[in-house]
Amino acid sequence: MIDVAGILMQNILYVILITLGGVLISWSVHFVPVGGAPAAMAQATGIGTGTVQLAAGAGLTGLVTAGAMMQITNNAALVIASGAAGAMIMIAVTMIVGTWVYIYGVGCPPASAKVKYDPITKDRQDLYVSQGTEGHGLPTVSYVSGVIGGALGGIGGSVVYYSLMSVTNQLALADLVGMASVFAVGIFFVNAVIPSYNIGGTIEGFHDPKFKRFPKAVVASLVATLFCALISVLAIGGL
Amino acid sequence: MSAGGSGAAAEAIPQNNIIAFGVAGGLIGIYAAYFLVDMVGQYMSFIGALGAICGMIWGAAAVRRVASYGLGTGVPSIGMLALGMGVLAATFGLAVGGVAGPVIALITAAIIGLMVGVLANKVLKMGIPIMEVSMTEIATAGTITIIGLAISMTGTFDFPVILSQVITTGYIAVIFIAGGLAILHPFNANLGPDEAQDRTLICGLEKGAIAMIIAGIVATVNEGASGALTILIGLALWYIGFSGYYDRVKRDAYAVVGSGLLPSKEELE
Repeated sequence: MIDVAGILMQNILYVILITLGGVLISWSVHFVPVGGAPAAMAQATGIGTGTVQLAAGAGLTGLVTAGAMMQITNNAALVIASGAAGAMIMIAVTMIVGTWVYIYGVGCPPASAKVKYDPITKDRQDLYVSQGTEGHGLPTVSYVSGVIGGALGGIGGSVVYYSLMSVTNQLALADLVGMASVFAVGIFFVNAVIPSYNIGGTIEGFHDPKFKRFPKAVVASLVATLFCALISVLAIGGL
Repeated sequence: MSAGGSGAAAEAIPQNNIIAFGVAGGLIGIYAAYFLVDMVGQYMSFIGALGAICGMIWGAAAVRRVASYGLGTGVPSIGMLALGMGVLAATFGLAVGGVAGPVIALITAAIIGLMVGVLANKVLKMGIPIMEVSMTEIATAGTITIIGLAISMTGTFDFPVILSQVITTGYIAVIFIAGGLAILHPFNANLGPDEAQDRTLICGLEKGAIAMIIAGIVATVNEGASGALTILIGLALWYIGFSGYYDRVKRDAYAVVGSGLLPSKEELE
């Protein structure tokens, strides 16, 4: 049987870091402009898919870039920056291609229905919102918000991955990478779904009134991730 | 966007029976495969996939029940959550548990699921009365799915083998998506006012059979397991599932008519 207390005492820092990473992921999801099915029909502002798919897409890209950087260096700052950059590029590319589709394909201007003026460009929004829709496309503020969300999600994901890789263990490197990736993906999905239930489908970004709900998701993620962190550190540390 | 309606779903088979079917079928499948591969031969690894299918059908039934209340977001999220919690619990259970691994994994999954369910209702205030129970069920079903498919790929749940042949090789991602689809897709495809329990569940069987076939293909390259029987039984189950699903679609549809082929360019002029 494994020495539960010993492993936890030895790796308590990583348990805390994983929990913080999970909380960051949960917070980051609130920044991403998620439109869900209505946005896929250009009837709501945001990207036309669900929270989980977007957060997972950006976050897993962050994990891959963080993992690639970890092959070269053990410097935590570089690994985390690499993860953030990967996730930001992924979400930014998704949003710019989505914007092309909305403008040149669907033929609607990017417009937010939640605010009258774009907080960043100060452009008037409500005149451009088609009747019967809740906005469409990705206005500048949503785009910026999405990139911030990608950065936070990427930082969270790479902190989780870096901490899991740093837990004291006797595993071969290839096996450790496999274990750490599986646990990081599991923790990522749990923390991507919890905020999506908090948001309830669609959000435009940090200017959306729903954004103020984030403390609830952060508290929920804190509790859930702490438990996930304990079992993943115990599993990796015990081998 | 609310997926599903807003109320309890009608069910011909009581959920308790499906829970019993999922837990018992899943555990029997996993342990039977583990011991029979040693005693009888490698080709018995297909039983693990049968156990996984029990778990997937249970998961699909639990998703159907909870998503009927309207999650406020797409149904796929809950399938990904199931496998996310499942992969944590399964890896932990198998890593620390030895021969009791699957049972420890199931208990761990139930704890994580219950915790997420309580958080969803108490902190996020989702207000779905069966959230706690359903999250526990979904996490456990996801764990059975992962362990069942993993054992049908390798013929054992000894952790070093699972680690080197399923996790490090990346087949865990195949399990994640194929198993997740079997849990989330049935209700996602069938939801609506005319949704029927048997139609949704047989769609789950069909998706589970596809996951079983894929597990069989992976098993052909692994030493401990043999894939041919897994693939054959998977194909048979897929045929049963698909024709059963088609029969129920015809039964529930107002009419099934052929639209004919698209008109050719000359006919349009």
